[in-house]
Amino acid sequence: MSVGRLNVGGSISAHGLGGAKDLPIPAELAIAGAVAALVISFTVLAVAWREPRYDPATSGRPAPAWLDRFASSRALAVTARVLGMAFFLYVAAAAVFGKDSLINPFLGTFYVLLWVGLVPASLLLGPVFRAISPVRTISMLFARISGVPEGEGLYAYPARLGYWPAAAGLFAFVWLELVYPASTDLGPVRLWCAAYLGIMLIGSAVWGTTFLERADPFEVYSSLVARLSVWGRRDGVLVLRSPLANLDTVVPRPGLVAVVGVLFGSTAFDSFRESTPWLKLVQSLSTSRVLPDTVALVVFSAGVALVLAVATMATGVTSDTPRRALPDLFAHSVVPIIVGYVVAHYLSYFVEYGQTTVIQLSDPFSRGDDYLGTADLQVSYWLSSHPTFLAVTKVLAVALGHVVGVVAAHDRAIKLLPRRHQLTGQLPMLVAMVGFTVGGLYLLFAA
Amino acid sequence: MSGRGRPRLAPLVAPLVLLTLLEAGLTACGGDSGGDTAPAGSGSARSDGDTVAVTVTREGDTFTPNGERVELATGQALVLTVEADEAGELHVHSTPEQEIAYDEGTSEHEITIDRPGVVEVESHDPDVILLQLEVR
Repeated sequence: MSVGRLNVGGSISAHGLGGAKDLPIPAELAIAGAVAALVISFTVLAVAWREPRYDPATSGRPAPAWLDRFASSRALAVTARVLGMAFFLYVAAAAVFGKDSLINPFLGTFYVLLWVGLVPASLLLGPVFRAISPVRTISMLFARISGVPEGEGLYAYPARLGYWPAAAGLFAFVWLELVYPASTDLGPVRLWCAAYLGIMLIGSAVWGTTFLERADPFEVYSSLVARLSVWGRRDGVLVLRSPLANLDTVVPRPGLVAVVGVLFGSTAFDSFRESTPWLKLVQSLSTSRVLPDTVALVVFSAGVALVLAVATMATGVTSDTPRRALPDLFAHSVVPIIVGYVVAHYLSYFVEYGQTTVIQLSDPFSRGDDYLGTADLQVSYWLSSHPTFLAVTKVLAVALGHVVGVVAAHDRAIKLLPRRHQLTGQLPMLVAMVGFTVGGLYLLFAA
Repeated sequence: MSGRGRPRLAPLVAPLVLLTLLEAGLTACGGDSGGDTAPAGSGSARSDGDTVAVTVTREGDTFTPNGERVELATGQALVLTVEADEAGELHVHSTPEQEIAYDEGTSEHEITIDRPGVVEVESHDPDVILLQLEVR
């Protein structure tokens, strides 16, 4: 959407960012294919994969020494922090002094470059957000000035809180993006960011940087997705792992199921809210659609978490693994599914609105400036113009995500479950995965 | 160590090959699906080849149609007949966006969309999505 050509930016409200959305494609074949892929891979796994293959303590090959030195170097860490902080301040200036208009790059940076872009960035480079995170940088500077040992807070972070604060933060983000009617007005988004910054800074002062690791929604999301990259660390040494072996190193903590529930459920809700039956229903109500949309977003997020909890707990267990620990122990297998749906759902949005944002970034105050030299670039709509290619990419991404998820869950099952339950104990999980596939693809392609 | 750590890809290959085959079928199917859905569907939309005509009615804050799907070809004209009891604005969320200002009474407006995608036609103030154009 190159705002400004046909309309004055900012007048088009209550619609989220971006103009046209992707076309639906025939869902039946996609669903049949994905379900077949799941069932076949499960069968093959049951026969051929009988011993656990992944162990965080031994997996991965050490990276070349020069690469480890470079990745662990202080120079790289400082450069990433300086660049991250400079970009943050640049966009913050647009947020504070810029115009309340859709051509303000703050909105595109927040919703597209940050929220969607952190997925490909973390897949390629590992946990990038924590390396550039402005709150981490500010809290490190505070600690330096006040003489507090780096990373420490007043108290130890309570272990039983786990990832619950991040789940709450992620829900707050998706609610703002998908439910709140003024999600593209500058004021509310700026207020959300100010609240995020405030909570993160106070939290890190009280509980140290552990708080940011567990509670910062963007850092938790980025670090989870980074487990699907090839980059890992074992005893401080940089190692190269297959994405599946790396995924196995996700540390299960309380609330991890809620995090994946919100991430997966919200993507499904994003398709659902635009489906004709739901649209007709909420628009025929006399009240605003905020309440029904909020309820639906909660139902989708909690529904994913609940299905996952029930499916993982419906098995025989050994005495060393309590049944209620199982949902968090299996939650990592949903991460590739989330990535698959993010690719399917946001690929064209990221590529096309991302380009628009890069162009807008040259003119943060909407005065016709060209600070970065990108103002005259043109957006390429190649992806939108090739809907068949786009549709095929989407189905492949979702199916691949589900297959990787099934493999991850299978390896975890044969590690944790008693031998006689190893196969039957996985069946509820397989049913849940097939259900997710059918539901997810149906929403994505038919709605 | 690296032997154990490395996943065997064989179990992944079979389903992926199968998927690829299905994709081929899907692609073929996607190609001709435009043909059998070309008539612009149900409800208030009428198609006569070159154009698709839709009537939008506004009575106070009540609009018809309410979130209806209408199929349209790229470059095909959509003729919107607006019958309104007060003036207002429609937003067409194509890329780039288009705006339609209408007056009280009956007026006719024509738009075309030149790229495939789903485009929402939304009333502004009150914000109601009237149409979702499936542009192929």
